[in-house]
Amino acid sequence: MSMTPATPTQLKTKAEAAYAEQFESALAGLPGAADARRAAFGRFTAQGLPHRRLEEWKYTDLRAAVKEALPPAPAAKAVVAANEVTAALGPLAVIDGPRLVFIDGHFSAEHSVASAIAGLSIATLANAAGASAPAGDVPATVALNHAFASDGAVVEVMAGAKPTGSLVIVFLSTAVRPATITTRNIIIVGADAAASVVEIHAQIGTASTHTNTSTKLQIGDRAVVDHAKVIIGASGAIHLANWDVSIGIDALYRPAQLTPSCGLARHDVNVTLNGRNGKLDFSGIALGRGSDHIDTTMVIHHVAPGCESRELFKTILDGNARAVFQGKVIVDKDAQKTDGKQMAKALMLSPNAEFDSKPELEIYADDVACGHGSTCAEIDPDLIFYCRSRGIPEAQARALLLESFVGDAIDMIDRPDIRRAFTEIAQAWLTHKSA
Amino acid sequence: MLEIKNLHVKLADEEKVILDGLTLSVPKGEVHAIMGPNGSGKSTLAYVLAGRPGYEVTDGDILWNGESVLEMAPDERAAAGIFLAFQYPMEIPGVAGLTFLRTAVNAVAKKRGTKELTTPEFMKLVKAKGAELNIDVEMLKRPVNVGFSGGEKKRSEILQMALLAPSLCVLDETDSGLDIDALKVVSDGVNALRSKDRAMLVITHYQRLLNHIVPDRVHVLAHGHIQKSGGKELALELEKSGYAEYKSKAA
Repeated sequence: MSMTPATPTQLKTKAEAAYAEQFESALAGLPGAADARRAAFGRFTAQGLPHRRLEEWKYTDLRAAVKEALPPAPAAKAVVAANEVTAALGPLAVIDGPRLVFIDGHFSAEHSVASAIAGLSIATLANAAGASAPAGDVPATVALNHAFASDGAVVEVMAGAKPTGSLVIVFLSTAVRPATITTRNIIIVGADAAASVVEIHAQIGTASTHTNTSTKLQIGDRAVVDHAKVIIGASGAIHLANWDVSIGIDALYRPAQLTPSCGLARHDVNVTLNGRNGKLDFSGIALGRGSDHIDTTMVIHHVAPGCESRELFKTILDGNARAVFQGKVIVDKDAQKTDGKQMAKALMLSPNAEFDSKPELEIYADDVACGHGSTCAEIDPDLIFYCRSRGIPEAQARALLLESFVGDAIDMIDRPDIRRAFTEIAQAWLTHKSA
Repeated sequence: MLEIKNLHVKLADEEKVILDGLTLSVPKGEVHAIMGPNGSGKSTLAYVLAGRPGYEVTDGDILWNGESVLEMAPDERAAAGIFLAFQYPMEIPGVAGLTFLRTAVNAVAKKRGTKELTTPEFMKLVKAKGAELNIDVEMLKRPVNVGFSGGEKKRSEILQMALLAPSLCVLDETDSGLDIDALKVVSDGVNALRSKDRAMLVITHYQRLLNHIVPDRVHVLAHGHIQKSGGKELALELEKSGYAEYKSKAA
């Protein structure tokens, strides 16, 4: 039912109707082919905002959460100082490499640092040829992204290129009035290349923002890609993100996500292992307190044989926070010798927190090794006693143990500068907790 | 001086009484051994000294240097100089041994009012103590006790003990899970820490540990209190006769 084409009969809520109006007035100012955007918006109207009766959105009812369609953010009028950007990035500011900065969804040449780098082609969605909204069925949130995206990074790492440092893509919100920021990235990594990409969503504005961001990443044969994503400094907002990744033959993909308190966040991570012996190593961390709601929904699709997928997901919840981890692994009939393992662990610091973990395996091949596990517990009192018996006060012992809990997910990150930044951001969140 | 007076302990959430009028004194500079059959309350005594939650002291007192420790939190007891070497040291994935130890050493320094150590100062201290005790400190780069062999875990406990410079050491079944070589290294470490300012309580089921760590006094614990005390020769007697005599008293 969700995919029935055409008629906008699915638009039921006030917010959905408002999106339709906003789309009409925004269209003229948006880059790329208008027809393609109209088609994308049509795919949204055919579905409407996803709601809890859809299995993939069972725990995150967007139709209920999006009470209002916030208007698209205008290009920032206020001047943003360089030190404001640095401050917003916090520990991430030191990550080495070219930097693309988008302020309120629009490229900022002033704050970007991307001189010509051998083997790296950098453009933006607003000026890239062929960056129009793609055709084909997509879920409603992605359709909305394709319809409204104002800008984003369009990057190609040439075959065999191994640029040093990480490509840092910063999305900074300065909004002082509630607004929606929609961005779309396209990253292509050629065969035998090696690249690191860091996506940062930071906020210096005070207004609540809705973010809808998507990244399409295509990884060539034998390429190695590190891909980090972190939300920093956001609160009381809605963050929707969609990753669509394909992995080539013998390629290695190491994504890492860190989501500290940011209101409602939904990460859709779709990874397709298209080439023989491809490898995925995913690590994710969700840190929630108050009324945070952090949903990570993954679909790992093993199409080719001999591929390996690993997902480690760590969650710490306090207050009334809720986290969701849905991890679906699909193994096609031809994907023999698939090796898939998934682990989701949560630490609960409050009796009112909730963790919903839903692993799913859909296996059509007969020679595979797939496993999944999930745990949900409080901090082990014996471990607290062990620390205290060594003189470490209780609050400090708790902080140390929480740090250790997320530590093994952070340890999976290959780049030391990213690992350090993730550690600092997690520590800052934890200290706030134990203070 | 450690003075345990008429100590009665039960599990906090059960009626079961574990220590039933235990009285014992360990002066500074002495090493006392507590021996006893399984289930006699040896490990409970160790945990109660260190302040582990889950036990309730219903009567009696524990005095360390003349002050009751019963109202003190485990970390306060550590700062007061009490150290428990665990029978089963805990694994803490994701925290490097060095980070853990530096946090502990500085937390204790802060409470004792001594100077906190910088990273280079701390590293120097670790290397010096490791060399003194013949313990390779490389293992401290790994997460605390994770994937350690039984011997490594006990060596790590002894090194922690040396770094925290306690004045009362309680060793709970330090010999369990050790082969003879590891036993020797650990015992040499403990012996190196013997001093006139330090009291030690060595808890063990077997006499063999006491060949390496020779005690000044031996106490037999059974049915929740001390049944017999004597010199080091008492351990040898027990080795011959076993605990049958003390078990039969229960019947």
